[in-house]
Amino acid sequence: MLHKRLTSIICTTAIVFGLAMIVDQAAAQEKAAAVAAPPAKPVIAKLCANCHQPQAGSLRGNFDNVSYKTQSIQIKIDDAVEILTFDKNSLKTTNIKPDPENPSEPLRVLKKGKEVRVEYTEKEGRKFATLLSAKPVIKVAPEKLISTADAENLVAQGPEKGKYLLIDARPAPRFMESAIPTAINIPFPAFEKNTDKLPKDKNALIIYYCAGVT
Amino acid sequence: MSPNSAGRAEKLGYTNVKVYHEGLPEWTKKNYTVITVPFLKEAFIDKEIPNVLLDVRPTAKAEKGFIKGAVTLPATEVATNIAKFPPKEMKPPIIIIDDTGGDDAKKAAKALITAGYTSVTILTGGMDAWQAAGGPVQTGKLATTVVYVPKPRPGEISIDDFKKITANTPADTLILDIRSQDEASTGMIKGAKVVSDEEILDRLAEIPKDKQIITYCSTGVRAEMAYHKLKEKGYKVKFLNAKVEFDDKGNYTIEKP
Repeated sequence: MLHKRLTSIICTTAIVFGLAMIVDQAAAQEKAAAVAAPPAKPVIAKLCANCHQPQAGSLRGNFDNVSYKTQSIQIKIDDAVEILTFDKNSLKTTNIKPDPENPSEPLRVLKKGKEVRVEYTEKEGRKFATLLSAKPVIKVAPEKLISTADAENLVAQGPEKGKYLLIDARPAPRFMESAIPTAINIPFPAFEKNTDKLPKDKNALIIYYCAGVT
Repeated sequence: MSPNSAGRAEKLGYTNVKVYHEGLPEWTKKNYTVITVPFLKEAFIDKEIPNVLLDVRPTAKAEKGFIKGAVTLPATEVATNIAKFPPKEMKPPIIIIDDTGGDDAKKAAKALITAGYTSVTILTGGMDAWQAAGGPVQTGKLATTVVYVPKPRPGEISIDDFKKITANTPADTLILDIRSQDEASTGMIKGAKVVSDEEILDRLAEIPKDKQIITYCSTGVRAEMAYHKLKEKGYKVKFLNAKVEFDDKGNYTIEKP
């Protein structure tokens, strides 16, 4: 069954990526096949690569589905699909809370698309999953939160006296319309480009805010 | 977006990173926000975004030079003239102008916030900064009546139209949920497809160009970012500029931001 699903995914992918290209591609592939093996599959999805490095024996991508019958899982890494087998008695999982009614099949609770990391061993070109770790829900630890009252106190003192840097992580057009006094704007997607705006002192107090709990 | 940013800063070695998680929606219930002269021009005046420009200097002084469209209402009279303002439920952006962005502006802001207005913004540096930047001024009589006619932002779908579409989604329409997988797993609009703002440009192949795309998120901010990204790629797209909240039973409420 899993095999069938895989075939359908490949077909869909081909359609999505443009039938018009197929003719050209076929010609190119013939040429390429003569000189080189097909390119290696990605081991890390682009989105994951924002924060993580590729690691040997580890895949990062989006969970697609699981079959306990065949003991295999399917992971999507951008446009590629990886199928790994596993042993349901030895597969370790982290950050997954199994359904209490079905504790022996924890992967059943994973939603399609959930970001996961899979550790595997490889034998004769086949990947065997040993650990599946789901991306934890981003929760801010209570000691890292500041309250509206704290924010008001600091802003009333100002950045010099209060010794803080207040950063608005919203997109620039929103920041321009209105912002908390003393804030600077570093939209989250532009974080890497703006690291020079962060304090030199790594122990300095930095406070981030945006348009509420997201 | 703030927890993500905080996480990145910590990765760079910062040891004292905090998150003001409630953020602007809580801040504005009790406090004013600020806007600079260049941003007032760029974000409101140039884009013709409706707003209330409130000149709180003494009327005689304001008449000698004011920003086009401003309404005169001296700072000491704001608290007693709340009835002159559009209803607070309309959430009009009110921009307060005094000489310097000082105590008069703060006093007027306080009166409006106490009355329940949640988008009260002081022009940093006031009229002095406006004129120093070469901003045009008018002289003579100012308006004394506050007029505010809301206008949707470019690409915005009304809450009513959005509700109609979620109740009965036409075949040629696709609703995109621009939150993360984790947020979406706590509840989402039926039939929507989750594509987070971060990954949207990498997943364009999954978004049909021949359909009307409608984006939403938890606050309207990411939905609008996605709107701009998709529009630039030639999509037919609209976004919901609203707060969408889900409870644990999968019900949701949609509210003006």
